[in-house]
Amino acid sequence: MSTALGWLAAAGLAAGLGMGFGVAPREVTQGNVQRIMYLHVPAVWVAYLAFAAGLVASIVYLARRRPAADRLAHAACEVGTLFLGVNIATGAIWGKPTWGTWWTWDARLTSVAVVFVMFVAYLLLRQAIEDRERAARYAAVLGIVAALNIPLVHFSVYWWRTLHQPPSLLKPGSSTMPPVILAALLVNFAALALLGAYFIARRTRVLAAEEEALA
Amino acid sequence: MPDNWTFVAAAYTIAALAFGTYWRWLNRKEREINALRGRHDTGRTTAGRDTARRDAAVRDDRSTAVRNDQDPAVRSDRTSRSRQPSMPGHPRPEPGSNPSIQQ
Repeated sequence: MSTALGWLAAAGLAAGLGMGFGVAPREVTQGNVQRIMYLHVPAVWVAYLAFAAGLVASIVYLARRRPAADRLAHAACEVGTLFLGVNIATGAIWGKPTWGTWWTWDARLTSVAVVFVMFVAYLLLRQAIEDRERAARYAAVLGIVAALNIPLVHFSVYWWRTLHQPPSLLKPGSSTMPPVILAALLVNFAALALLGAYFIARRTRVLAAEEEALA
Repeated sequence: MPDNWTFVAAAYTIAALAFGTYWRWLNRKEREINALRGRHDTGRTTAGRDTARRDAAVRDDRSTAVRNDQDPAVRSDRTSRSRQPSMPGHPRPEPGSNPSIQQ
């Protein structure tokens, strides 16, 4: 199944690049640097989805103590951290030519950095504790607490005055984006979501094999 | 506003490197686990073979001992055999040679 997902993700990424660079037009105000959006925005959506999956799996693990739920939580949070890292890096690269700075401590950037650090701590916590059951239990609690910060990241642009713009799509009412730009964004989101699902499926399989080999 | 293609290239390159590195790391991890599994299976087989060999040796010794018990010459020498010192290189010393016991 993961092989099929991998090929689908590869095809999706090729289609996403075609949409982002071939079909979507040059943005009038920002110029071609706006094309970073087709990577930056879907990356954070996939990270949100992965963290949501991690949250559900962590709750299931704490309730039922099923090792499969723990493996899914581990894989989803790891992949979510990877995508969030890509989001932060591409955001900094996009910020330099448009805002004039790589980084600023505004509410959106600070809250997303806090979530990123919490998930890095989640992964380190798993490495630090040798007892597998205890590591899974502590990590599940930390994963739930870290994932509960995501609404704070999303609404930070409404609750505080920020340099970061408010969302163009994940908001009440219709999108203000031109349809072709919206289509390119959604194709890239689908491609990165497939890539994220592929990574999670493979990582879950590797974790299961690792446990089996060490048992 | 200028197009800033270098920033676009940098963003996509960093993303490609991050995803590519993670993918390669997953591949390496999978290979390592397969190798570990292979070693584990081989170890189990070798250990099983060793155990079978040891069991066979123990069976042989027991059958020799039973045969010796049936031999009258050996049976008459049983008392002297019991006074024989331990095998050379045995880690446990003879009771008489242990000063802590003598005290």
